[in-house]
Formats: sequence, structure tokens, C-alpha cells
Amino acid sequence: MGQVGLEHYLVVSALLFCLGLLGTIVRRNVLIIYLSLELMLNAANLALVALSRFKDNLNDHVSGQMMVFFIITVAAAEVAVGLALIVALYRKNASAHTEDLATLRF
Amino acid sequence: MNASLLSLEWMILGGGLVFLLLDLWTPAGKKRSLGYAAAALVAVTLVWSFRVDASTPQLAFNDGYVLDALALFFKRFFLIATIGVLLMSVDFADQFQAGIGEYYSLILFALGGMMLAASANDFTMLFVSIELITVTFYVLTSFLRHKTPSLEAGIKYLILGALSSGVMVYGIALVFGSSGTMKFGELAEKAAGLTHQKVFLIGALFLVAGLAFKISAFPFHVWTPDVYEGSPSPTTAFLAVGSKAAGFVLLLRFLFVAMPHAVVAEWSRVLMVMSGVTILYGNLCAIPQRSLKRLLGYSSISNGGYMLLGVAAMSHEGSTAVLYYLSGYLFTVLAGFLVISIVVRQLGSDDLKAIAGLHRRSPLLATALTLAMVSLAGVPPLAGFFGKFLLLKSVLEQGSSYYWLMAVAVVGVVISISYYLGVVRAIYWSDRPIEPKELILGAPMRIALYACVLGMLYLGLFPNFTLELASRATGVLKF
Repeated sequence: MGQVGLEHYLVVSALLFCLGLLGTIVRRNVLIIYLSLELMLNAANLALVALSRFKDNLNDHVSGQMMVFFIITVAAAEVAVGLALIVALYRKNASAHTEDLATLRF
Repeated sequence: MNASLLSLEWMILGGGLVFLLLDLWTPAGKKRSLGYAAAALVAVTLVWSFRVDASTPQLAFNDGYVLDALALFFKRFFLIATIGVLLMSVDFADQFQAGIGEYYSLILFALGGMMLAASANDFTMLFVSIELITVTFYVLTSFLRHKTPSLEAGIKYLILGALSSGVMVYGIALVFGSSGTMKFGELAEKAAGLTHQKVFLIGALFLVAGLAFKISAFPFHVWTPDVYEGSPSPTTAFLAVGSKAAGFVLLLRFLFVAMPHAVVAEWSRVLMVMSGVTILYGNLCAIPQRSLKRLLGYSSISNGGYMLLGVAAMSHEGSTAVLYYLSGYLFTVLAGFLVISIVVRQLGSDDLKAIAGLHRRSPLLATALTLAMVSLAGVPPLAGFFGKFLLLKSVLEQGSSYYWLMAVAVVGVVISISYYLGVVRAIYWSDRPIEPKELILGAPMRIALYACVLGMLYLGLFPNFTLELASRATGVLKF
């Protein structure tokens, strides 16, 4: 068994990203879709942290990790607004399924 | 680091916080007029911006923020747009059940995000500013939350917006991983050796996809018609003008400051196809629309396509034309949405039937809407004509490989005339008998409408001054 290296982290990150994308496309519950979207953001976080730690050609190892903090903060703000919206939707429609979002259409 | 470089942003963001507090102490009956104070603050900031010197680029926040001619041009653009949007929201505010003061604050926060986006010079600033805009817009689009369409628009914008930022962030991670830097300036130097690295190219493509969502370019446009139709009218206007322009300034900076020339040149075909398809799609789908806001949503898609022509031209003239076109688009779209906002509020519908005989109810509204449609259709002497002319000229100058795109754009213009003039016909030549109910127009709305009409005529008849400003602004881009 070799050591855990950059490739392992990047593969996990890519898998997380694809899972998130898949969940967003396939699932029908707004809440689950939103959860999948957060997964995509965290895939990027994992990649950024791993890259900052392992890459040798970087000018500064800090900027990638700094970016992660910004992403976490922004994601928290986004979740606050997003969940509030989903709650408002559930109160209005008594459902959080994408099929019921059909007032606006061609 | 020089924090005073951000004086304009401080004024706006600080103002947003102050209005959030002021809202608590203002009696319910007077909350609406807080909007006038907010508009005054933005106007003062606009005047102040003429004291800001941006002749040489100045950096702050570890090179993440740059103040140069391009940034200043767009900051003024956003400030002017916000004055119009705030006046519109004061008129529209009685539709909101609660939180009128918050609505004004949120508009100011979104404006702060746009102004930061105009100055973004590294990926952190790009991401944070774009998210500041997007997250604020989640709330602004669903502000009429007792009404299903508005709530639905908010949810749709939320899901697709979060998806696009997820893709964009992953793109940033890939670009950072392959190049080792977050700064646009360093990336441009390093990236020459990266042109054939797949990871870098995929990352950059993801980033462009995230920005294409903002400017609603095909195939990232799906949210546009629904969100435009469902949102409160002032929000829609702000989305159409501010959010789109923020996408364009970031795209221009990313492509022509951060990316190496070799990569961008290879991408010209992708941008050309995107532009052509966006123009055709927007224009064709707009034809059968009956809802004015939805129609303007599709029109906004096609206009994004026209502006992409200038980006795809990859020349100084092309980018200058984009900036000029955006300036004309600002007044045109604001005029259109001012009228729609009044019609929706007082007649309760934005259907084409609702504006039948508008000229008998209010000649000013009818004239403004007609001029806006004619300008969007690209009829001289209005702003839209000269903008389209410049965009097409810049494409034509790039040689024969661009001719097909030029042809597509011209076909798009011809198609668009049919539905723009359809709106004009609905105003003046409708068969339906009309009950002569007059529309009430307050003095601020009147002034805003006159200003928009004057702006459209001024830009169309005397384009030189704006063109010179735009040309100086795009001087910071490298081609």
C-alpha cells in the first residue's frame, strides 16, 4: 500500500463533484437537490485544500486555503437563504417537489 | 494596501447597512420613501465617482482588487442603473407585504457586489463578488413570497444559480491546481505553458460556463424566461441590466486579462457558436410570447448573444462595442421595465392585451415603451441601432471566418423586428374596446422615464463621448 497522495484526494473530489451533479439532475426533491449542490461546493473545497498541501509549483500555499474559507462562508450564506426559500415554498405548496413548480412555463 | 481605493464600495455597502437599521425606526407609512433616500445616496456616489482617478491601474487587497478605467466605467454604469431601479421599486413597493426597507438595502448590497465584480482581479474576488450578487438576487426574485410565481422564480434561480456557482468553483480549483495561482496577472504570465494541459482547459471552461449563466448565454439560459416573468418588476430590470453587465465585465477581464492569448484564440470558435445560437434561440422563442416580461426575458437572451459577438471578435473594437451596447441597453431596458412595472401594478397583468390602447391612457408610457422596443429592434436613430452596427462591424473586420456569424446576427435582427413591433402594434392598433382608465404617474417615475428616453436618443445621436469612454476603458484589456 502506498501513501495517500494528491491523486487520491483529487479522485475523491471528482467523484464528489459528479455525485453532486448527478443528484442535482436526477432527484426530484428540492431539498435533496440543494444537498447535492452543497456536495459540489465541498468537492471544490477538498480539491483546493489538497492542491495547496501537495503541489510544489505554487507561489503561495495560502491562497488556495484562503479560498476555501471564502467558499465555506459563502456556502453558509447561500444555505441560509436557500433553506428559507424552500421552507416558504413548502408552506405555500405543501410540497417541495420539482414537478409542482409548474406555474411559469411556455 | 490602500483601502481608500474602495471609497465607492464603502459608501454603497455602508449605506446598505444604514438603511437596514433606518428601516427599524421608520414608521410603516413612510418606509416607501426610504427608497428616495437610497436613490439619493447612489446619486451622490455617482457624483463622487468623478473625483476618483483611475488613469493608472491601482491595486488593493493583495492584488485582488484593481481600480482602472474599465472598473470605473462599469461602476458608473451600475450606479446609474441602480438609481433607475430604486425609483422603480418605490413605485412598486406597495405590492410587497413586508420588508420594504430590506428590499432597498438588498438592492444596495447587490450593487456593492456588482461594483466589486467590476474590479475583480483574482479568483477569490471574482467568486465572492459574483456570489454577493447571486445570493442577494435569490431574495430579490422571491420577494413577493405570498405569490406563487415569484416564489417559484426564486427557487428556480436558487437551484440553477447554485449549480452554476458549484461548477464555477470547481473550475477555479482546477485552474488553481494546474497553474498554481489565483491572480489574473500571474496566471497570464504562467499560462502560456499551460495551453495544452487538459485540466487547465477544463477548469477554464467550467469558469466560462459559470459566467455564461450570468449573461444567460445558450445553453446556460434556461432560468431566464421563468425568473424574468415571476420576479417583481424592479428585480427583473436589475437582473436584465446589472447582473448581465456584471457577467460581461467578469468575462472580458477573465478572457482578456487572465487567459493567455493562445487559449482565447482557440476558443473563438466556441464563443462564436455560443453567440450565434443564443441570438437565434432568444429571438425565435420570443415570437409567440404573450407576457411582456417573458418576452423581454427572451429578448434579453438574444441581446446577450449580440454582446457575445463583440467578445467573440476578440478585438479592441469588439469590446468597445460591447460596452457601448450595454450603455444603450441600460436606458432601453430600464424604460421598458419602468412602463411594465407601472402597467403590472395598476392593471394587474403584463399580458400584451393589458397594454392595448396604452397611448390613450398615458401617452408618455406608450411613447417610452414604443421607443424602447424600436431601439431594441435596432432602428435608427436610437441607441440600439448604433450598438448593433458597431458589434457587427467589429465581427466583420475579423475576416471571412466570421461571415457566417454576421449572417446569423442579421437574420436574428430581422426576426426580432417582428415581435418588437408586435408590442408596438398591441399598444396602438388593438381591436379590443378599451375602458378609458387613466394610469397615474408620480413625478419621480416621470423624470426617470424622460431620462431613459433622453439617454436612448443621446446615445443614438451623439455616440462619440460614450464611445471614447468605452474605448479608454477597454484599453486595459490585452488582445
